[in-house]
Formats: sequence, C-alpha cells, structure tokens
Amino acid sequence: MLDRFIDKAKSAGAEVVKLAALEDAPAFLTDFLKKNDLKTVIISPDLKARPPFDREFAVTGTALGGESIWVDAGIVAADHGVAETGTLVHFDRSDEEKNVWTLPEVCLCLLEARNIVGGLDDLPPKIAAHLGRTDIPSPQVSMVTGPSRTADIECQLTIGVHGPSRLIILLT
Amino acid sequence: MKKPIVDPALKKVLQDFSRSFRTKRLAALAGYDFEMLRTRLAAIKDDALDRNEELLARFEENARAHGSVVLRARDGAEANAAILEICRRHGVRKLVKSKSMVSEETGLNDFLAEHGVEARETDLGEWIVQIAAERPTHMVLPAIHLTRGDVAALFARKLGRDVPEDIPGLVRIARGEMRKEIFAAEAGLSGANALIAENGAIVLVTNEGNGRLVTAIPPVHIVLATIEKVVPATADALALVKLLPRNATGQTITSYVSFIAGPHAAAQYIILLDNHRSEMAADPEFRAALRCVKCSACLNVCPVYQLLGGEKYSHVYMGGIGTLFTAWVHGLDKSKAMAKLCLRCHRCEAYCAAKIPIADLITALAERLNSETGRTLWKRFAFDGVMGWPRLQQGAFKAVRTARKAVGVKDGFARRLPAWMKKYDRFRALPSPAAVPFTKQFMKEFPPPVASAREAKGPVTIYGGCLIEHFYPEIGLAAARVLTKLGYTVKLAPGLCCGFPPSNGGFRKASGRAFAALLRKMEIEGPVVTLCPTCATMLSKRGPEIDGSEKAKALAQAVIPFGRFIVENELAAVRGMLKSPPAGLTATYHDSCHHKNLLAGERASRALVELALGAGIAEMDEADACCGFAGSYTVDNPEISAELLADKLAAIEKTGAGIVAMDCPGCLLQIRGGCRSRGLAVRAAHTAELLDEVLHPRPRLS
Repeated sequence: MLDRFIDKAKSAGAEVVKLAALEDAPAFLTDFLKKNDLKTVIISPDLKARPPFDREFAVTGTALGGESIWVDAGIVAADHGVAETGTLVHFDRSDEEKNVWTLPEVCLCLLEARNIVGGLDDLPPKIAAHLGRTDIPSPQVSMVTGPSRTADIECQLTIGVHGPSRLIILLT
Repeated sequence: MKKPIVDPALKKVLQDFSRSFRTKRLAALAGYDFEMLRTRLAAIKDDALDRNEELLARFEENARAHGSVVLRARDGAEANAAILEICRRHGVRKLVKSKSMVSEETGLNDFLAEHGVEARETDLGEWIVQIAAERPTHMVLPAIHLTRGDVAALFARKLGRDVPEDIPGLVRIARGEMRKEIFAAEAGLSGANALIAENGAIVLVTNEGNGRLVTAIPPVHIVLATIEKVVPATADALALVKLLPRNATGQTITSYVSFIAGPHAAAQYIILLDNHRSEMAADPEFRAALRCVKCSACLNVCPVYQLLGGEKYSHVYMGGIGTLFTAWVHGLDKSKAMAKLCLRCHRCEAYCAAKIPIADLITALAERLNSETGRTLWKRFAFDGVMGWPRLQQGAFKAVRTARKAVGVKDGFARRLPAWMKKYDRFRALPSPAAVPFTKQFMKEFPPPVASAREAKGPVTIYGGCLIEHFYPEIGLAAARVLTKLGYTVKLAPGLCCGFPPSNGGFRKASGRAFAALLRKMEIEGPVVTLCPTCATMLSKRGPEIDGSEKAKALAQAVIPFGRFIVENELAAVRGMLKSPPAGLTATYHDSCHHKNLLAGERASRALVELALGAGIAEMDEADACCGFAGSYTVDNPEISAELLADKLAAIEKTGAGIVAMDCPGCLLQIRGGCRSRGLAVRAAHTAELLDEVLHPRPRLS
C-alpha cells in the first residue's frame, strides 16, 4: 500500500521524501527552506501546536497578513493518504489550514505511513464525520494530489497556475 | 463567398486533443470496470432525481445549520438578481469566479457588469477567453482554440509590455495577475460538482486550485448550483470523484477536491437554480440528461464537435448533451439549429459517465421540434408524406428508377444529375438506381422451392432495406448465395422501408406506419438476417418500442446482422469451404456507427473479412469515426458530410489497402462515391459481397 501510494503520488507530480522519524522533520524542513531560499513561510496552526513543531517553528506565521499574498512555502500535515490515487487528505478546521495547501509556491506535507488508506472508497465515513462536526464553524476537507496544474494553453500540462508548483510529501 | 464552416487549424487542435484524450482516458480506466462505475453513478443520479425535492430540503436544512444562507431561484433572472442583491448588501464591486457553466447559462457576467459589479474569471482558460472577449470553445478547456502566440499577444496588450511565447512563462504571468484580482475581490463565486444532502456540504473538483482560493480568500462566498447536483450522501459524491476525472481528462484524480460546509468568513450564500430542470426531471424521457456530470467526454469524441468547436456547436451549452440542455433551459427554438448538427452516430454514448442516451434523446427532441416549432418542408414531404406510406414509398422509388435513363449510368454511378443535386454529388459520386430491385432479382435467381446444394438447415429470412432494394441489389444477392451455399433455405422479407428515416427525422407516427406496414407483410421464418445496421436497429429496437405488438417483439428477437450470423453459426463451415483464400488482397475495415455503437458487430465483421481474405485487417486511423453519410444528415449538412468523408478517405488511403470493407449500405454509398470522386483506386465493399466472392470464385464483373 505504501509503495502504491508513493508510485501514484509521484506520477501525479508530487515529490516524496522518506524520514526516519517525525522528530527529524524540523531539521529537514529548516535545511530545505534555507537551501531553496524560501523566506516567507506559513505553517498550519494544528501542526504548530504539536511537538516538536511547537518548539522549532514557534516564530513561523500561521495566518496571512493583508499584504502577504505571496508565500514561498507552507508546511502542513495530512490526516490521511490514499494509495489508489496518491492523494493527501486533510480535515481543515480553519481557513488558515486550508490556505496553507493552496497559497505557497512550495507545499511541504507530513504524512504518517500508518495513516495511508487503500482507496477512495475507504474515505466516505471519515469525510462525513468531519463535515458533520458542529464544534467548528466551517468544516472543510481538502483532497490534494500533486501540484496545481493546468492544460489550458495548447493542452500542455503546466504546473503552479494558482497553487503550489511543488508538493513535497515527507513520509514518516 | 460564404465562409467555410470548418476552420482547419481548430479542427486539427480538436482532433489531436481527441486522440490524446482517448489514450489517456483508457490508461486512467485500466483496471477499473467503467461499466460498473458509470452504472453506479447513473443509479445515484437517478435516485437523487427521484427524490430531488426531499434531498434539496435536507441539504438546505443542513447547510443552514452550518450557517450558510440558502436561496432558491426559479430561473436565470432570479438567480442573477439574487447575486446582485448579495453584492449590494456586502458592498461588492469586484467578484472573482471559479469556473461556473451555470453562470454562463444565466448570463451573469454581463448582468453584473450592467449593474456596476465587475465579474472576473479565474480559471486560466476562462480568464484568457474573458480578456480576449471571446466565447469558450470547450467545457473543460475553454481557450483550446488559442495558441501560445495568441495568448502572449493578448497578455502583451493587457500588460503593455513584451511577453515571450513560452507556456510556463505565460502561466506564471497569469498566476500573478489572477492572485492580485482574487485578493482584491470582495466576493468569490463558485459552482458545485455536487451538493451533499446529509451534511449540507458542496464539493468542488478542480485542477488549478482557483476554486480553493475563490472560495476561501474573499470574505463572501457565493455558490451558484443547479438543483440536479444534490446527492444523498458523502459516499455518492465520492463515487462521482472516482469517475469524473478519469473520464473527463484521463487523470486518476484532479489536483484538488474540496468539500466545504458552511461559510469560512463573513458569509456564504448558496443559490439553488431550477431554470426548468424540475420540468425536465418530471419528463420520463429527458430526465436522463440531468444525470450529466459535465465531464465533456462526449464532446471530446464527437466527430462534429471536432470539426466545428464549441463556439459554432453551442448556444451556451455545447454539443449533443448541450443541445438537450439548451432545449430546456434556453428554449426549444434555441436548440433547433444545434439538433440538426448531431449525426446520431451514438459514439458519445460509449463514453458517457452517466449512461445518457444522448443520440436517442436528440431524436426525441427532433420529434418535439417538429410538433412545436414547425417542420422542415422537405422532411415533411419525404418522411411524413412519402416514406410513411408504403404505396407512395414504392411509387417514389419507381419514379427514381424511371429517371435512371435520364441521368445516365456509368459503372453504377449517375452521370447527369439535375443542378440542385450538384452540391450533394460534388464530393461524392451518387449511385444510379438499380434497373431491377433486389426482391425481383432474388425471385429470378432463387425461384421457389430453393434447391439447396446441401441438406437444408431450415429457413433464414433476409431483410435488405431500401438502399439494397433500390440501389445495391448485388449485396442482397451475395448474402443469399452465401446462405444458400451454407445449406439454408433463404426467404425474403418484403422490399419495404423499415421506418428508420422518418423516425430519425422526428416523424414518429410516419415511422410507426412504415414499420407496421412492413411487419404486417413479413413472415418471420427463422433468423432475420440484416444487411444494414440502421435497419437492424429499427427492427430490433426502435420499431418494437413504437409498435409494442407480439409480432414486433418476435421480430426483435429474430434480427441478427449478417456478420454475426455467420460468425456465430457457420465459422467452421466457411473455413472448411475456403481451401485457398485469394492471395495478395489487403482490406481495411470501416466501422459503421450503428453496427459498432448499437449492435456491437465490429468484432464479428472483422473476423469475417479476415477469414474471407486470409489476411489481417490493415486498420485505419479512427475506424469508428462516422463517414459523414448518416442518412438525411448529408442533405442537411453537406459541408460537414464532405469534411468527414475527406477524413475517412484519407485514413483509408493511408493504410494502402485495396479494399475497404463495411457492413452498411449507407456508408457504402458515401465511401464508394467518395473514392470515385477522388479517383481513389480502393474498392468499397459490403462484407457479404467479399464472402460471396471467395465462396463462389468467378471473374468480377466490371
């Protein structure tokens, strides 16, 4: 199932990096951001609240300022992966969370291998449970597969039209 | 001079796209049971239509619980007014949109502009088309008609600076411009691919990600959705997500699928638009069209769409399915010109994600157009008048036969046609009528009782149909010889019209009369072997639907196309008779639309041709693309008919085969005549003729 997920995610244009443990993520991310000269970075609020990100990324913003419509990188964690399609699934609890998937140039997403499900048919109860929540104002679900893409000019596949041009999955 | 209807550059783009689409789609569906997936989706949509109002009420209740405001709009004007009212309430001067076909249906952009609200598209293709002040050419790829050069020139004009003709660079520029517009807008408008009743969520399936920005960045989110989008449960929406991208673009899934329940910021308004859809849902025939999930696969494989593009083949909605929607949401009169463009080739139906019988519904629409907006004069004369009455029908064919001398005959083609027929003869030599009809020639060659060479196997009945009866009796005789040689007692059905042409023209009553007259005179003895797939469709499907009698049902059961009859019953016998197949002949095979798309006869016929020639088929490109004859279509649309024929002939020529085999005398008329006009040294032959020739070797008559 893991291999299928990796295969499908890559064929949708995502990059996959395997990390030994979740604790390795902050170091990898810091290094990656530096190497690629990614300066404006946002992190999903739910991830920022979790260790070890609550220490390592304490100063990183979670929301967009009025002028900051250009974001270099966003860091998120997926709730599930779908092997059938290479899809990342996230149960958004707020707009900030949702936008981290779409606004940046580069989207970096953590995914725990144990959260990968076989196919789309495994999702309905999970998605329905989230959409039925009344404790948050606007439950949303994001299913993201590869970078943002278009074929609107001469049917040529081109990435990064509205959302990220790179989607990097950090598997733990 | 009149501008040609086909733009060669656009045609090339659309035909290339169609080919790559089909390849990618097949790859995306590999390992999936398309039939099962679409049957499931169709069932979901049917069930949702059955209890549309109940589901809408549940959706409303659940969406309201999340804080959404749900409004109902009876028609486009009400929807537009509601959106303007929302804009005024929230001080919206600029509204950004993700792709919404429905807003094109209601003419929202122009309406808002008139009232001081600027609506900006954010789907890249729509954005480009909007800057160019043009109309979309394709549902999924609106700017498919523009080249990178066109787009670069457009951007240069908009930005007032040089723009290189490089696609990633152009996309980059568009990203920046659109991002600024999205952040500057006070409201975002989206459509919905589905509305989930059980939790009040909307589902958006997108690739670019604009749908996510438009619904999350501006403080006000407006959803404009039509009532048939509601499904009961989350699982139903996922069934759609599973099939839609694979069928629409050959992707396993789109980059983004978003479920949104409730407003994210200031407010969310959901407008549920009816615009005659509840009337459509109440119509037992046309309600099937409401299953449409707007994947556009039908457009991508439509031979006519590939020639014309979406601007010419549309009112707002495009192609065959668009014609059906147009008739209901914009009015019957608006659909009239579009309805005439459908070949009724049924190719789209094999691709439809929701199993919509598009071509049959266009026929049903033709009936309504006839009864409600007036009939085309020549069709009224030909179908309602002549073809619908067996006596007049026979008289007319007799008159045509009498004209044989006047027009002159050479090699079976008419030599001197009257001036008004020139536009039909120019691209395709027309056949001369046969001197003696098939049924009469048959009586002479096979006088009863038939003395079979072998022990009789029982009777089979041959039904030739009009073209064989009056133009190509040699095909009927060939089939009779083959069946006799195989030991059957061959009987003949009367030489009357099956009733298909009037039916296709929307003259159901005349069609029923013709079919009933044939049925009355017909003795159903053994299998009824047909030599024309269109007649076969009439006898086995459409006729019994109109007639409903026991005899009609018996006929439907007895009908079998010639190729399938031989392959299913006599393959070994034929093989035994063919000691040494003729050497050095190569054939290509043309799939006649009804033969492949309605009777699934394509494999049997290929097997038969291969058996007869002792060689494999040299397959042509687009073997199953319509040759452009399509009965009265060639009279209605001679330009399109000629263009489709030219493509067909080019494909045939490219194979280098000396023979093009087929199973439909209509296609034969078109392709044989085309070869003649073009001076192509390729013989067009019916499979029955080929089989007869190898079973009864003799010098071919010139």
